Amino acid sequence: MATTSEDIISTQENAPSLPWYLIDLPKYLKGFGVLTVIYVSLRLYQGAFAVAHGLDSTEPAFEQYWMRLFYIELAVIAAVASGFWGYLWTTRDRTLDQLEPKEEIRRYFTLTMWISIYTFAVYWAGSYFAEQDNSWHQVAIRDTPFTANHIIEFYFNFPLYVILGGCAWLYARTRLPLYAKGISLPLTLAVFGPFMILVSVGFNEWGHTFWFREEFFAAPIHWGFVIGVWFALGVGGILLQGVTRLIELLDKIEDAE
Amino acid sequence: MSAQIPISTFKPYQGEKARLARAYDYLILVLALFLFIGSFHLHFALTVGDWDFWVDWKDRQWWPLVTPLIGITFPAAVQAVLWDKFRLPLGATLCVAALLIGTWVTRVFAYHYWNYFPINMVLPATMIPGALVLDTLLMLTNSLTVTSIFGGAAFALLFYPTNWPIFGMFHQAVEVANSQLTVADLFGFQYIRTGMPEYLRIIERGTLRTYGQYATPLSAFCSALLCSLMYPLWWHIGKWFASTRYLTKI
Repeated sequence: MATTSEDIISTQENAPSLPWYLIDLPKYLKGFGVLTVIYVSLRLYQGAFAVAHGLDSTEPAFEQYWMRLFYIELAVIAAVASGFWGYLWTTRDRTLDQLEPKEEIRRYFTLTMWISIYTFAVYWAGSYFAEQDNSWHQVAIRDTPFTANHIIEFYFNFPLYVILGGCAWLYARTRLPLYAKGISLPLTLAVFGPFMILVSVGFNEWGHTFWFREEFFAAPIHWGFVIGVWFALGVGGILLQGVTRLIELLDKIEDAE
Repeated sequence: MSAQIPISTFKPYQGEKARLARAYDYLILVLALFLFIGSFHLHFALTVGDWDFWVDWKDRQWWPLVTPLIGITFPAAVQAVLWDKFRLPLGATLCVAALLIGTWVTRVFAYHYWNYFPINMVLPATMIPGALVLDTLLMLTNSLTVTSIFGGAAFALLFYPTNWPIFGMFHQAVEVANSQLTVADLFGFQYIRTGMPEYLRIIERGTLRTYGQYATPLSAFCSALLCSLMYPLWWHIGKWFASTRYLTKI
């Protein structure tokens, strides 16, 4: 049976459309999907090549399987950072003073989605791959700061969540009036605090140049990471700022059934 | 400049506004889940760390002290926002449940499937009962002082007995090579870890062994005292981070 143009139009008309405030939901779900594929693929790569080629950094195979991945990661991180941040900045709203309440509400939803994607990346970096680092160190003595888990955790996961946090911060700053007029303290804390975790890698690895023994995970040398992650509690303040503004905006629009 | 929650009489939303508010709730729910798994787990793994990772680290002196003391931090901070601003009595349970999800996923896929540690060797401890009491007490009393003293103490004191059904069996005595060990010790000696010297240096230091069976309750009551102090400290840390200020420059 042939599909006619009338059928296509009819199908489109019957398809449930998203409400105006959830217009970015498909992009949000795709973001989750893409990140999940990336992280699961990296974990499968570790499963396939960490024990086989990731134990001795002086072997040629280590260079081939792990350092090459590291260089690819650096290129991806640079491209993603410049692409996303550049896009958000160049497409910024230059007429924020004329923003309609409905559009502002929609943008608060999109900001929440950006922060949600950011916290999803924080999950993989702060939870799964972070504790997996302990598991790896308990079976393999390190001979390099670029271990099979560090290459993914420190030099990909950490920068990636920093980039996504930066995206949330930039989105708010360039598209929402309150965030453009003033700099949100909790949003800044929630993005820049965990950024300091990336910086703490330097302290951590410097410490390990003295301290070869593997590994007491609660050792003070790791507490730089701990203090950095406390700043994620700033999300509570972002929520309060968002809810307060949404209540004001909802009062300005007509109710629809 | 600071955001203020309107105190005017609030009428529940109807129609589209109600659907919009509900959609926002769901977005926040997903956001909060991954936020607390990621952040609380990192905080926990790098402070409690090995005491939660390994069955043979779960001793009588440090494990009942360190785990509740660190475990009460994020719950207190999150309660300060969720209870104080939204009247949601679930901050502690949310944090602890999120932590448990994160640790279980890691123990299965990072320890068991990647490096072949038996799952029984890396079971995470639970703080769910203590968190439920903490949330309930805050809801019933609406008092930071009462929750600090009695909730904080309960959080610590409940830890060991509520974990005993999970870990008690690993304290079964066994004789190996003319030495008496527990099953948990045997796991540790069978599955050699690079952290072994640190483990031998820290776990079960000498003198309190003369206290015999009193070591655990002493650790638990010490933890209760410290949790009562840690709770209000982290409540205020949570409040500070949940600032609604906008700055003119950074």
